[in-house]
Parts: sequence; C-alpha cells; structure tokens
Amino acid sequence: MSSTFQKYGGFSAVSRVVMTFYEMVLDNDLVGHHFDNVDMPRLMDHQTKFVSALMGGPSAMNDERLAFVHRDLAITREEFDEIVLLLTDAMSQHGMEQADIHNVKKSFEEKRALIQKAAV
Amino acid sequence: MASLALTTINEQLLKSIGVGIAILRFKDAKFVFHNAAFTEWFGDPTTSDTVKEAMETLRDQALDSFRETGRFQGEIQIKPRRRTLVISLNLYLTEMESEKMIVAECQNITRMRELEQMIDSYSNMVERNTRQLEREKERVEKLLLNLMPRTVYEEYKTFGVVTPQLYREVSVLMLDFVGFTDFTEKNDPTVTLGELNDIFTAFDRISEQFGVERIKTIGDAYLAVSGMPEAAPDHATAVANCAVRFLRYLERRNQSHRFQWEARIGLGSGAAVGSVVGVQKYVYDVFGPAVNMAARLQVFAHPMKIVAPIDMKFDLIDGFQVDEIGSYDIKGLGSLELINVEGNLSLARGG
Repeated sequence: MSSTFQKYGGFSAVSRVVMTFYEMVLDNDLVGHHFDNVDMPRLMDHQTKFVSALMGGPSAMNDERLAFVHRDLAITREEFDEIVLLLTDAMSQHGMEQADIHNVKKSFEEKRALIQKAAV
Repeated sequence: MASLALTTINEQLLKSIGVGIAILRFKDAKFVFHNAAFTEWFGDPTTSDTVKEAMETLRDQALDSFRETGRFQGEIQIKPRRRTLVISLNLYLTEMESEKMIVAECQNITRMRELEQMIDSYSNMVERNTRQLEREKERVEKLLLNLMPRTVYEEYKTFGVVTPQLYREVSVLMLDFVGFTDFTEKNDPTVTLGELNDIFTAFDRISEQFGVERIKTIGDAYLAVSGMPEAAPDHATAVANCAVRFLRYLERRNQSHRFQWEARIGLGSGAAVGSVVGVQKYVYDVFGPAVNMAARLQVFAHPMKIVAPIDMKFDLIDGFQVDEIGSYDIKGLGSLELINVEGNLSLARGG
C-alpha cells in the first residue's frame, strides 16, 4: 500500500514542508518563543522524521521520547492548536490534498497528550 | 555619461543583491559602504555590537591570512531574531583611489547547513536500514541453504526458479530407526526431539565430510545423496562411507547414552531428479529410481545393517566388506540381487 509519504515524494518533499513550517513558527508570536534557544538544524531533522512518520514514512517515532523532550516546555492547548494550524498551512502551501492533510492532522492529534502539558 | 550610468547601476546592484557587502578602510577599519542585506543581518556597522564583536574575534586571524594570501574566509553565527543564522564571510583586500580597502562579502548559508545536516542524518538512516536488510538477507539465505543445496540456491537466486534436473548417476542413502514410533509413545516429545537433533547433527557432520548432501529428514528417516546437484565420480563409496560411519557412531553413542538406537540403512544407485518443489512452501526434493531403491532396501535391512543392490558391488568392493546375500523380491522393484555392506573396520579394531 502506498503511503502519503510516498505519494508526495518522500523525504525531500517532507523536508520542504518542514522548512516552510519553521519559517512560520519562528515568526509566530504565540509559539515562536519556544524555539528561542533551539538547535534548529537538529530540530528540523527530527521534525522531518516526525512528519514522515505521521505520513506513514519509514522513520519511527518513539512516544516516550516525544513526551520526554516536551516535558519541561509547558506547551498549552492554544499553542498546540496554533502549531497544528501552521503545519496545516505549510502542507497546503506545498500542494498536499485536503484528505491527506486531514490524515496527518489526525495522526498528529493522537500525539497531543504526549506534547501538550496536561491541565494547563 | 555612460560610465556614470554604469556606476549608478553597479551601486544599485550592490545595494539590492542578497549578498551582504561592506567596504572598510584597512588602516582604521572604518566602514565606507554597506548594503541592505548587510544591515539586515548585522544592523548599522558603525553602531552594531555584533559587528564590533566579530571584528575583535576575527582581527588577528584575518590579518595573518591577509599577509599570506590577501584574503580571509570565515563563518559567523548571528541571531537577529529567534533563528541563529550562519553567515559565511569572505574578506579580500583591494585598492580604491590609492587607499587600501577591505571588501567584506557575506552570504547566508543557514539553509545550506540545515540541508547538510538533514542529508547526513538521512544517509545514516539509509545506511542503518541497508545494514538491517543485509542482515535479514543473510538470515534468509541461511534458512534457504537448509532447504536446498548451495548450487540450487544460486540458480534460484539468479533466475527465480529452479529447473528440475535429471542426474543419471547418483547414490542415495536412506536411514530409518528401529522402534522409533514406540520410542515416541513412551517418551516426552522434548526427549525425542533432543535425541533426533543430536543424532542427525552428527550425521550431517559425517555427510559433509564425504561431500554427501542431506536432502531431508522425514520423521526419523534420513535421506542423503551423492552425485547431485554436483556430479561426483565416487558417489557410491561416498554414501557407503557415510552409512558405515552412521552405524559406527550409533554403536559408540549407545555405549554411553541412556537411550539405545538401532538403524537400518538402504543404499540405492542410479538416476534421480532433483528440484525445488512447491511455489509458496518450497523445498528441494529428490525422487527417482535410486531414491526408491534406497527406501525399499532400508525397510528390508536388518537392524544395524546396510543393504545395497549388487550393481554397487563393483564400486564398493575395494573399500568395504561386501557380502552377497542372494536374490530377493523387493516390492515395486522385482527380483534383486543384494549385498550387505560393512566397513573394513574389523582390522583397525584389531579383531
């Protein structure tokens, strides 16, 4: 079965989405501050693998690790929602179809509990 | 007039391109020109702390480099907003109106660095996956080599199919244990399996020593051939050597083990077909007159005896003790002159 990941051309396509996504994130006043002192090349690499995994690509994302790296960031519901919006925007800018974007969002939503700080 | 226009164009160009350009006097490092891209990254050079810091850090290195080559190459990291930018810096000396000047050429290589890191990371991932596949392939190969001889496997790997082959001159060994069914009923399956594994492993080692290929085991029966898939002129003696040693191994084993095992062995000679059988569950198998004969004669043999057709006598007579035991009616094969084969080991044992 061909995955969304394969459909759009694998890593090179995903990395373009991720680059656009971070351009927007860094300029965003609600979520940008989380990235103030972050090693961006490394983060983009991780994020590319993460988004690839959400699209059914070959990289695997460990849930425990995902929770661990976000544990001290106190990410709020609004911030998570904003990130979802920006990612959606980046995906449509790169010509992904609505149905596919919806699926990626759905997979991403499943990870919300690991990333967003509970009860904030 | 034309040269003035050109100067204006040049100036406009310098101001608007995406490369950061600044020109400063060599003697006092005063900026005489900087374009928009430069200001965007560093701010106004006369007041910018970033520029001041960078100049202090790089001064000695740059001066050394100027002395040697007249130019300097370096990298600066700046953080105008949230994102750390990597700027490549190229400085070179020039002269303007007989004044020594430094031209600073800056390029934003942040994206390039990000891509480089991604490429590294993916190539590592790909290499890791490749290694994993390689290991998996080896595992599959090992498994398939248990199911078929190597030459057959090579054919299978290259062409995806194995053509059935008729081998005209092969010898076959068929061994079966006496009272095996009885044993399985009286003992725990683990014990039965342990015994079979132990004995068959020993048989495999002996077979390998004589270039005999174990084709399969069916329950307690052990089927091995010589002369296929690769021709072997001494196929008859090869299987007889194995047969003799199988029995000798069992005799020795019986002296020290709790369970006693006796086997009957039939040898056969002639033609056989070898092929991979099955599409989903393939297994390399052999069939044909030689295999039939070995199977029939094995049933006919007394415990711990090896029976073979008289056709094999000529091949075996030099290396083994061969006794004619007369003519018997063998099911499916008709009347056959048979021989009993034993090793020439009595001399070696001093008896």
